[in-house]
Amino acid sequence: MSKIRIVHYINQFFAGIGGEEKADYKPEIREGIVGPGMEFNKKFGDEAEIVATIICGDSYFNENLDEAKAKVIDMVKEYNPDLFIAGPAFNAGRYGVACGTIANAVKEELNIPVLTGMYEENPGADMFKKDVYIMETKNSAAGMRKAIKTMAPFAIKLAKGEEIGGPKEEGYMARGIRKNYFADKRGSARAVDMLINKLNKKKFETEFPMPNFDRVDPNPAIKDITKSKIALVTSGGIVPKGNPDHIESSSASKYGKYDIQGFNDLTSETHETAHGGYDPVYANEDADRVLPVDVLRDLEKEGKIGELHRYFYTTTGNGTAVASSKAFAEEFAKELIADGVEAVILTST
Amino acid sequence: MDLENQKRVKDITEKHGAENVIVVLGAAEAEAAGLAAETVTAGDPTFAGPLAGVQLGLRVYHAVEPQFKGEVDADVYEDQIGMMEMVLEVDEIIEEMTDIREEFCKFND
Repeated sequence: MSKIRIVHYINQFFAGIGGEEKADYKPEIREGIVGPGMEFNKKFGDEAEIVATIICGDSYFNENLDEAKAKVIDMVKEYNPDLFIAGPAFNAGRYGVACGTIANAVKEELNIPVLTGMYEENPGADMFKKDVYIMETKNSAAGMRKAIKTMAPFAIKLAKGEEIGGPKEEGYMARGIRKNYFADKRGSARAVDMLINKLNKKKFETEFPMPNFDRVDPNPAIKDITKSKIALVTSGGIVPKGNPDHIESSSASKYGKYDIQGFNDLTSETHETAHGGYDPVYANEDADRVLPVDVLRDLEKEGKIGELHRYFYTTTGNGTAVASSKAFAEEFAKELIADGVEAVILTST
Repeated sequence: MDLENQKRVKDITEKHGAENVIVVLGAAEAEAAGLAAETVTAGDPTFAGPLAGVQLGLRVYHAVEPQFKGEVDADVYEDQIGMMEMVLEVDEIIEEMTDIREEFCKFND
């Protein structure tokens, strides 16, 4: 069998061209290996070889994304490789993002296996670990040999289409994919083992890892709330009666924006909840229980707040992906700011 | 080790021969010293510089190691390095340097 053909992508630094001052270096392709490719080829032995190396400055790539991506893909195509490797990028942020972006683009467009490597805190890791295999490396290039030692055999496996083991065993970052397998012990025994380890302060590995949510620091307090425009935003699913935009009762794909001008009190005649997964009777009887328009109108009259914003934004939080919620908020937060809203009260079910 | 210094070490070694070159390091931490020592013996561990894949195997010592200290004027040493010798993790540096030399240095002395 002939050797597996690999195209390798590196930045200007690893090509020995220069550091930050050369980061605007345009994509270039060279026959054979450059820089770390040397160590890759050594580890590949007779099974694979880097046939060409693409070099691109980190700033150039990230600032001319579409152009750079298209150019690099064309270069890769020319060599018709079996596999594409980018990096490893360690903790270099722009390099990591470039490696993830280009690896993902090559995978999508050329339909060949791709591999990259970086430090777990590299911003490129969070952006692309779900899309491409990212081997976990140390945070500095001093870990090159070690990184290549795990990347090289894994690359060969990928290229040959062999079965890939779990992230722990292979050394790549978890991609959030669950796979069924037969365990040696049944669930109750495994749970008791975990508990015993936990009680003995020994290491144990959960079988149900929780997602990592980022924490958002609160904004500084409002100086004078009696002059501020306040908006209501809810994930409690309050909508005008009849749910005119058909917001889903769970896993919402959209949010609604509704006018509450002239409403001093939400009633079962005017509003209801679209939210599934909880007993909606009390919310339907009086939607103010979830979206307190009545109380805020009182505060408005008493001069305790400046005014209540004319529109409220709403969706159902039930089963709705964090990514969707983020996308909704990114959109309507801009409108809220443009409308001069200074504070938002978030309510849920 | 930065690309410029790698090139300097490479040029000097080509000019004078590896047996006639000793590299003295002044890095403040064992890890940094080890990386620089690895660069001039086994080659650039980051594979980015002129010494990528070049195994010079040079003699390399850190300025706080006894091999270097014993070769220089004690007063000058005290004056120039004495202060740093007090604040650096000398044992750690010696251990790291010794490991690298044992593994990669071409000269057994």
